Amino acid sequence: MTLNGKEVPADGPGPASSAEDGLTPASGTGEVARELRQRIAGQFGRSLHIRTLDTGSCAVCEQEIRLLAAPHYDLHRLGFFFTPAPRHADLLLVTGPMIRAMDVAVHKTYQAMPGPKVVVATGACALGGIYPQDPFVHGDAGKVLPVDVWIPGCPPSPLALLHGLLVAVGRLAEKTPGLTFLADGEAR
Amino acid sequence: MTPLLLAYGAAGGWGLAALIAVAAGHTRWGMRACCVPSALGGAAAAAGGAWALVSGNTHVVTLGGSAASGSVVGGPLQLQLTSLAGVFVALLGVVAVAIALYAPRYHEPGRGTGLYLAAYNLALLACLAVLAAGGMVTFLVAWGSMSLLCYLLILRHPGRPGVARGAFWFLALSEIGFVLIVAAFVILSAKTHVTEFGAMAARAHLVPGGWRDAAYLLALTGFGFKAGLVPLHVWLPEAHPVAPADGSAFLSGVVVKIGIYGIALFAFRLLPGGGGWEGLLTMGAGAVTAAIGILYALGERDIKRFLAYSTIENIGIIVTAFGAAMVFHAYRQPALWAFLLLAGLYHVANHGCYKTLLFLEAGVVERTTGTRDMDRLGGLIHRLPRSAVIAFAGTLGIAALPPLNGFVSEWLIFQGLFQGFRTGSDLIAILIVVAAATLGLTSGLAIYAFVRGFGIPFLGMPRTRRAASAREAGQPVAGPGLLALACVALAVGAPVVLAALSRAVRTVTGVGLGRLLLPGNLTVIPAHANFSAFSPTYLAVFLVAACAVPLLIYLAGRPRAASTSVPVWDGGIVSFKPRMQYSAMTFSAPTRVTFDALYRPSVSVDRASDDPAGRSGPVHYESQVTPVFERYLYRPVIRAVEWLADVIRPLQSGDVNLYLFYVFAVVLLAYVLGAV
Amino acid sequence: MPLWFARGLRRGIVTAHYPARPDDSSASLPTPPAFRPAALNRQVAGRLCAACPNGALRRENDVLIFDVGACTACGRCADAAPEAVVPSGQFELATTARSALIKRIPLAGEAAGE
Repeated sequence: MTLNGKEVPADGPGPASSAEDGLTPASGTGEVARELRQRIAGQFGRSLHIRTLDTGSCAVCEQEIRLLAAPHYDLHRLGFFFTPAPRHADLLLVTGPMIRAMDVAVHKTYQAMPGPKVVVATGACALGGIYPQDPFVHGDAGKVLPVDVWIPGCPPSPLALLHGLLVAVGRLAEKTPGLTFLADGEAR
Repeated sequence: MTPLLLAYGAAGGWGLAALIAVAAGHTRWGMRACCVPSALGGAAAAAGGAWALVSGNTHVVTLGGSAASGSVVGGPLQLQLTSLAGVFVALLGVVAVAIALYAPRYHEPGRGTGLYLAAYNLALLACLAVLAAGGMVTFLVAWGSMSLLCYLLILRHPGRPGVARGAFWFLALSEIGFVLIVAAFVILSAKTHVTEFGAMAARAHLVPGGWRDAAYLLALTGFGFKAGLVPLHVWLPEAHPVAPADGSAFLSGVVVKIGIYGIALFAFRLLPGGGGWEGLLTMGAGAVTAAIGILYALGERDIKRFLAYSTIENIGIIVTAFGAAMVFHAYRQPALWAFLLLAGLYHVANHGCYKTLLFLEAGVVERTTGTRDMDRLGGLIHRLPRSAVIAFAGTLGIAALPPLNGFVSEWLIFQGLFQGFRTGSDLIAILIVVAAATLGLTSGLAIYAFVRGFGIPFLGMPRTRRAASAREAGQPVAGPGLLALACVALAVGAPVVLAALSRAVRTVTGVGLGRLLLPGNLTVIPAHANFSAFSPTYLAVFLVAACAVPLLIYLAGRPRAASTSVPVWDGGIVSFKPRMQYSAMTFSAPTRVTFDALYRPSVSVDRASDDPAGRSGPVHYESQVTPVFERYLYRPVIRAVEWLADVIRPLQSGDVNLYLFYVFAVVLLAYVLGAV
Repeated sequence: MPLWFARGLRRGIVTAHYPARPDDSSASLPTPPAFRPAALNRQVAGRLCAACPNGALRRENDVLIFDVGACTACGRCADAAPEAVVPSGQFELATTARSALIKRIPLAGEAAGE
């Protein structure tokens, strides 16, 4: 089927799971998923260092990310920290439509992070929504990096970001597969 | 069999080497053949010096002519190998062996090489003669020859820029110093009526106070020219860069130490027991020298000029130790007197080893990359791995970092200075503490300077293509490697070395340190129990273990899975250019800003256009450090001498009648004086 | 300084307790739309797809395909067809599979064939 003009396989674009280190949470059900979630929660659940990477966004996503460190949302109480050094980072938080000029920087940043590592793409740009056809961008973070968690929103509110980060470390279960976005009584 | 016989052997070896060099030094096999007896002579000298350290002074041997019997002009050659000279002779021997291993691979065989090697071996011989001189005439003749032969060493490539100037500065300042040394010796021998050193020392009390002070001042200044005390140091940064690497190594490693030997000879043997002011002056001169030396070193891009200024710094440290020893002697602290003399001699040996090593490695760097400029180098640790390791050992030593020998000797000197309160006089204690603080500043700046001196050329990325294409094949490793081993041995075997030095110091000063220095268990204490203690051997073992244990844990427990290696994180820059790294001058810029009263930097910036962003055309930036000593001390003196020469010139008018009148006037004067 | 301290004590702790307790501000967040399939026919779906500036809505035969990841919660689809679109109130939308964000909304039968 086509979505926004691009050809996509039936069960969605992007790699189903970034299998480099086998530690990314699979969205499936069952024992495997649960064990993986436990492993991830054990490694990152209480202390996670986040490196943000702006690949050409309008910076509104960055403002929402900054609010995470402000007193109201305060991600430090959950054990998350921002770090500028990819060598110290566990999670790469990517915003922006992946402009081609950032290819080297994105590649170097991802390489510089030691495994195990998690990649989270956030914002409609990074999810392939806003600039799917622009020649200067890739349009979709999944085309460049093995993305583990997608957080939609334009911009995603800090609460949505917190939810996404907690999903990434396996402390919360994701809700989206169960949502139908149908009004009239069913699960929205 | 006495140590003097070994010295004869060394002299014979070096003389033979000089002959071979003259005959065949212009060929490669000739160079190798010449270096064999040179190395053997060095080994003999090292053995003889070490033996003389522990066995005490030999008898005076007079060769040729009548025995010295109180006449002012003694026998033509008086030789004696004293314990004090033993350290210096041993150092001379070790340096000679190292350079003999280094020279055949460094020099290109050619016309000047034979003469150069001959001059070098004769210079070794002259240095040995200075150290083994038992009397004034021998000493002075050997000293003069040494200066001339070193001048020839520096002039290896007379056509290159800067060589003639550097050699001339060396010779001019050596000769001025020589005149002052002659004056000092003449005063002493005129007042004591002997020329042999032992007799002079025994009759030192005959010299009246004013003459004594004058003799010591003349000696300090005269030997200070050779040693490199500020402001008499000006020849060092001029001569060292232009001499060949082993010549610079010899100059810094041995020749400036001969100047130190001269100061020690006067301070501890010929004129001991002076008032405190002599010691304070010496100590102050040393402290100022050390601080100024390292401050100027931080402003240098040329590796050899940088090392030359570092030599000045270390000479300052040694002279400070000697000066403080003299102060303690004047204030009746014999243990600290002997201790600081011992610490100074130990630092002489240490500095001789690692400075020679660093100069030899600078020669390797220059030979492989074609430049001495630190800002054109970089990343040499990958291109020249063995040389880099050896240079690192030398850098650890000279920066006085544990566990190497520089740390041990500086610790000893500092511990001696910290006991200034034992003199009983508050003023003296404060002055000694000020000297110690100056040395502390110097040591900190030395670490900073040598992080720069090793890091900029060897670490990082190559800044030019020449640095990226350096190759180590065929470069000398054995000579510098031997010196690196000597540095480690001097550190780990410090208790043994200090035991030998304390026996030498007992011969010189009559004070035996014994258990006040080495109470046993490989520990060293600074001349007083309950002050502090430290064991160089255990420290070395501990540091090696402390580094080895984490390494072993890592090796045993690291994950079995293959790991990937990725490039260094550089901020994600698309293309990292080597020019983005630190340069030598920017690394030391904070010092130039802090001490700008000393440097008086002048900066000139020329833009091609008035555009403040410099968008059209290149910008020319030049920053210069004012040569304070040349401009404000030497140039006025030179101008005064030239003025005096201009005033006297009319005497030499070229008119024969005037010359005949001179003859007539002098003859008339002689008659008149004879009649009176 | 004491005034600031007193004011802070009066205000109390303002830090959210998410995820242990829901946050007050979540009620006013702009969120992606939810659709009433009963009110959706091809004509309405066409209006919705034309109104969406980001291409999050597309119609394929009798299915409205809604890409939640491309939605910016601008509200133009709600303005264009207020009878068919209401705010969903969902902001916890993170997922590990991109495909889980593409929702298929069946269209109702009435003016089929338009």
